[in-house]
Amino acid sequence: MNDETLLNERIEVITVFGEGLNPCRPVRFRRSSGREIEVTEIGLRHPSVQGRRMIHIFDVTDGGADYRLEFDSERLTWHLTREADHYE
Amino acid sequence: MSKAYNTDRPLVMHIDLNSCFATVEQQSRPLLRGRPVAVVNRRTENTAIITASYEAKKYGVKVGMRFKEAKLLVPDIIAVETDPAKYRFVYHKMMDMMKTYSPHVVMKSIDEGVIDFKHATAQMRARDLRDIGEEIKQRMKDEIGSAMRCNVGISTNRFLAKTAAGLHKPDGLDVITHENLRETFATMELTDLTGIAKHNEHRLNAVGIETPLQFLDASAEILHKMVFKSVCGEEWHQRLRGYEVDDREFDLKTVGRQYVLESPHLSSEKILQRLHHLAESVGAKLRSQNKVARGVFVYVKTYERTYWHARRMCEMPFYSNQAIYALASQLFAGAPGHIREIGVSCYELGDDLDPQLSLFGDKLATEKQLVAAIDELNGRYGDRTIHAADTLGTGMYVKQKIPFGSTRYL
Repeated sequence: MNDETLLNERIEVITVFGEGLNPCRPVRFRRSSGREIEVTEIGLRHPSVQGRRMIHIFDVTDGGADYRLEFDSERLTWHLTREADHYE
Repeated sequence: MSKAYNTDRPLVMHIDLNSCFATVEQQSRPLLRGRPVAVVNRRTENTAIITASYEAKKYGVKVGMRFKEAKLLVPDIIAVETDPAKYRFVYHKMMDMMKTYSPHVVMKSIDEGVIDFKHATAQMRARDLRDIGEEIKQRMKDEIGSAMRCNVGISTNRFLAKTAAGLHKPDGLDVITHENLRETFATMELTDLTGIAKHNEHRLNAVGIETPLQFLDASAEILHKMVFKSVCGEEWHQRLRGYEVDDREFDLKTVGRQYVLESPHLSSEKILQRLHHLAESVGAKLRSQNKVARGVFVYVKTYERTYWHARRMCEMPFYSNQAIYALASQLFAGAPGHIREIGVSCYELGDDLDPQLSLFGDKLATEKQLVAAIDELNGRYGDRTIHAADTLGTGMYVKQKIPFGSTRYL
């Protein structure tokens, strides 16, 4: 088993809106502890409909761990919902 | 019936995502790339593997194997829980991409589909299908992600196109024509052919057919009268020669859901709560297809590997969760103990009827309005916003599953 932590942590995210495969790109986020994480790659972005609310799910990495960021397009909030590392 | 091979230009393309769920996980979680990954429904040692990445398959890890057995083969294998929303997203991206080539696209399951170029524009048909296959592979990487890989098979019918797609995994592209058909079959075993598993292999062996080439050379009469004992024999005769016999859709016959209990120590009350959860899922699936049912079937598998089932047919059609659970729970009263797995299905399906036609019209109309209101609320605020009180705590165990084999609910 890999170490995987499920979270529901409100985070601050610097996002670039541009073009290409991922027109919305989270590039850096700050956790509640103050730790800042730089996104080096977006693995996959997919939408998840929760009733009539659209949540955009970004699976990203900083090269040391994989993270799941969720953007609620109705409330305009970002949450960190998963951290996975130590694939040993 | 023709004995010759189909010499038409191959215009059927089969696209198959390699180890689909594992590949999608490796795409979405970059640190999993190049590592042995097993996709499972539950992160426990006893869980069965749904898909393994090629890095795991290399060491003998197979679909259906217990995770603890896989760990003996590959100690550093990583278990990742299924994420159906992500797979559905990739499925829709893949389908949209395929539809840019021909309006005649049929998705065979969540990870494979067929493009029929016979119905494509003349401009599209003028292109070399190998080029289109390569283009689709590149588009998968550009439009979904760089770790995505797929197999492409091209032939004159769906069966041979799927066979071609399986020749060089992962990331292959092969064409089967009347010219290389025998050469291709010469490299294969009977059970490599889609639709020939152990049971059919025994049937073929019984008349001396041991290889795909012998199968190909068998007459339609032998296949009909001695092997399959039905029209399936003629169909196999045509299918193997590259003629299309699989371009048809089947009606929905049953709607069901099953669940392997998370613990062997659950009380009867807790098992019934999970049965109720399954009945709610089945009801939602049934109504999503605008169907009603007249029969309910329940089954149980025990830890002693025994199988028990019961069924009941009703005169009046039904579709509500309440009706399905009421019937299922009555049947379930006769189930044995030490249960490992439970399942509920509805059968004898028909199209949704106008309740006013029935003697019990008022009662049915009221129930219909109530069910429609609940479905609308669940549609607006999310699945299981409204559900039976006794299934309040079951959602964390009985999770959404991946619909293998059918694309009706995607």
